[in-house]
Amino acid sequence: MNAMKRIYQLAILGVLALTFTSCTKEWLERTPKNIILEEQVWNDPKQITGLLANYYDRLPKDMGLNDPDHTSIDVNQERQAQWRRMADYDDAMWSGSTNEDARNNIVNYPFDRWRIWNYSLVRDINLALENIETYGVSLSAEQKAQFSAELRFLRAYNYFELVKRMGGVPLITTQLNYDYNGDPSYLQTPRAKEAEVYDFIASEVDAIKDQLGNDGSQTRANKYTALALKSRAMLYAGSLAKYNNAMGGPITTPGGEVGIPADRANGYFELSLAASQEIINSGAYALYQNNANLGENFYEAVTTKAGNTEVIFAQDFLAPKKRHGFAYDNIPRSIREDNLSSSNIAPSLNLVERYEYLDGSSGELNIRTADGSDFIYYDELTDVFDNKDARLYGTVIYPGASFKGVTLGMQAGVKVWDASSNSYRTVEGADLGATWGGDNYADGDGGLLTYAGGPHRSIMEVTNTGFYLRKYVDSGAGTSTRGIGSDVWWVWFRLGEIYLNATEAALELGRDADAAGYLSTLRERAGFGENSVTAATITMERVRNERRVELAFEDHRVWDLKRWRIAHEVWNGNSNSPDAVVYALYPYRVVRPGDAARDGKYVFVKMVAPRFRAPRFFQMGNYYSSIDQSVINNNPKIVRNPFH
Amino acid sequence: MKMNNYLYSLLSIVVIMVMGCEKDNYEEPTSMLTGRVVYQGEPLGLRSGGVQLELWQHGYELFSKIPVHVDQDGSFSARLFDGDYKLVLLRGNGPWADNTDSLDVHIKGSANVDVPVDPYFVITNHAFQRNGDQITATVSIQQVNTSRSLERVRLYLGQTMIVDQNNSASTGEVLAADVTDLSQPITLTANIPASLASKGYLFARIGVKANGVAEYVYSHPEQVAL
Repeated sequence: MNAMKRIYQLAILGVLALTFTSCTKEWLERTPKNIILEEQVWNDPKQITGLLANYYDRLPKDMGLNDPDHTSIDVNQERQAQWRRMADYDDAMWSGSTNEDARNNIVNYPFDRWRIWNYSLVRDINLALENIETYGVSLSAEQKAQFSAELRFLRAYNYFELVKRMGGVPLITTQLNYDYNGDPSYLQTPRAKEAEVYDFIASEVDAIKDQLGNDGSQTRANKYTALALKSRAMLYAGSLAKYNNAMGGPITTPGGEVGIPADRANGYFELSLAASQEIINSGAYALYQNNANLGENFYEAVTTKAGNTEVIFAQDFLAPKKRHGFAYDNIPRSIREDNLSSSNIAPSLNLVERYEYLDGSSGELNIRTADGSDFIYYDELTDVFDNKDARLYGTVIYPGASFKGVTLGMQAGVKVWDASSNSYRTVEGADLGATWGGDNYADGDGGLLTYAGGPHRSIMEVTNTGFYLRKYVDSGAGTSTRGIGSDVWWVWFRLGEIYLNATEAALELGRDADAAGYLSTLRERAGFGENSVTAATITMERVRNERRVELAFEDHRVWDLKRWRIAHEVWNGNSNSPDAVVYALYPYRVVRPGDAARDGKYVFVKMVAPRFRAPRFFQMGNYYSSIDQSVINNNPKIVRNPFH
Repeated sequence: MKMNNYLYSLLSIVVIMVMGCEKDNYEEPTSMLTGRVVYQGEPLGLRSGGVQLELWQHGYELFSKIPVHVDQDGSFSARLFDGDYKLVLLRGNGPWADNTDSLDVHIKGSANVDVPVDPYFVITNHAFQRNGDQITATVSIQQVNTSRSLERVRLYLGQTMIVDQNNSASTGEVLAADVTDLSQPITLTANIPASLASKGYLFARIGVKANGVAEYVYSHPEQVAL
């Protein structure tokens, strides 16, 4: 009771004190405590950096390592990045929870699949650019120029994401405000030509690259990040100009919103090549070569942050607060540390066979004898992958390869020789880690039937293709648990891609020797000899294959197939197609007592992945995503994309 | 206390159920639009689920297209409200020339419309024959709209009536370069897959593709006894 009284007295005293002191200041002109004012933000480099972080985070991508939006695009049609989309093409399939088996049964890609219309971000950036000029009085001219350049980089990057999905889009570079006069038509901007958007990106990069600062940063844009954007965007523009017009019926709109004139192709390739060369020749970056084991080296080149000289621009994740569950969802089943998930993205045999042999021969695995009459018998699981491009090891975990120091001896079952019928009987375990023996298999030898990490035809969260993902999967202890999580970064740009961009642009421009030089340099890191590609042997087919194997799971394949205008032929929806269907490779142990050349050896069976249902089907209407009807209703000047 | 909670939740469920019974929704549409995509009164064969027409209705706040999928025999149907609609060909979608003119459709109870199109090619005649373990097809095609050239002619074999570019067990094809004279019949062959040989019958169908158009125009699927 005494205490109550004391508090009461104190309160009265406090009120009195407040009354007296507040009278000395002007009552109505206090700075609010719950609102940050424009003047405060635009004069404080720390707060501006905080805003920039938000804008970086909102840059669109198709894949990425986190899962910000589980279903589809958000109300602002802004971001839709999901690592799950790695399972939606032909480099991998979904092997996780059966809830998401639809990823193996995409009858056709919807026309709105790659749609974004994130003018919410464009507006925020335009607003920031104007406000920093209006309010930023105490910033130095240098700081202002640097922040403005960074904002313009983000806007240019976003327009690249827009144009590669939607074709030409309205180029808005100032904030639009409605004056309530009843006629909003002055705010309705028509779509720019596709070429104009690419030209805008090039001119923005040229204008800002020397003001960006951030030297040496791998997570904020600097000069070389901007050049990398130009290298990629100009390459896209050049190949669109070339290959769209080479189609039987080029995809165009009368106003040029879609379709770049063919005569502009070489100009774009020149710009791309020049940007790539500036990065390569600057010496600011070097291909990652820190590990004598070339396979591990390639894995580290993408995944390891410490001492990484190759990555130009990445979305970083930092311990302990900002982490993601990519390792939790994609660690191989047999070595998972949590009790759920794992194994969601299962790389396809299609991809594995694209990795060449080190002698330069094509990468199809030798699993049957030349006349096809019998299996080829291997002593060890890994023998079938001997002498392959080291990037195979660095990208996928194949049977017999190791991860986190554990060997993954994938085995689907046993092949038991039946002398009476002169053929093999195939036995596969109902459970993972089953033994071929005991009560269930009375005739078994007690050896391994099905490995704890599969492959298995029907069990979820175990590989369905016979392969696990290595790239981007964290190898640190405990990182595949939900409690700890992974802090591996997502790579937007790295020098390896710049080498490939330079190769492709040079080849398109007829400079075969230069192209072969860039490509050979990149391939040396994967274990090929010097000059493994020469002016005589380089072909566009080969360059395209190199992009697929080097940049697998880095959000390139679908965009590459689109700009080469071959997506509708590669993913043609035909169940007999070798590319539209995801294939699996199942290893079996041979049980054939009395035949020392075969008993106990391993054989491999190629099949359509059992959980894979509908062949990938990319239609002409997928080359440019549909524009939402509400956007057209609001702005009737927007023309629809072809085929929608 | 526990019992009380239980009663309350039961009560709220009952309330929701009672309120949900109230009529607060529109009646479902009952009128039927049916029709065919035709050239000279004959329906065109198409890929199952491949071609789409669109219906638009002006005058309502929500202005969004109603997609109408065309079956593989060229027919379509949609259940709609009575009213006036515009039927439009989706640009670049079917094996025919674009036509931006819309077709007025008035629906009261039911309506039947034939949508005339200007195809690049039509199949005027076709015949299938078994030769050993192959099917041979003889096809006559005619070019109607000449703005696009022939790309290829294909023969599809399948187990069911639904047989097309995406659903087939075996295919054969002739490229445009090998077709010198369109007025002459074209011969195609395809191997009978082992999976179908044992069934005693299969379905065969012809598809014709113009350059730069994704969809083929198809013949009727025909059952061939083995």
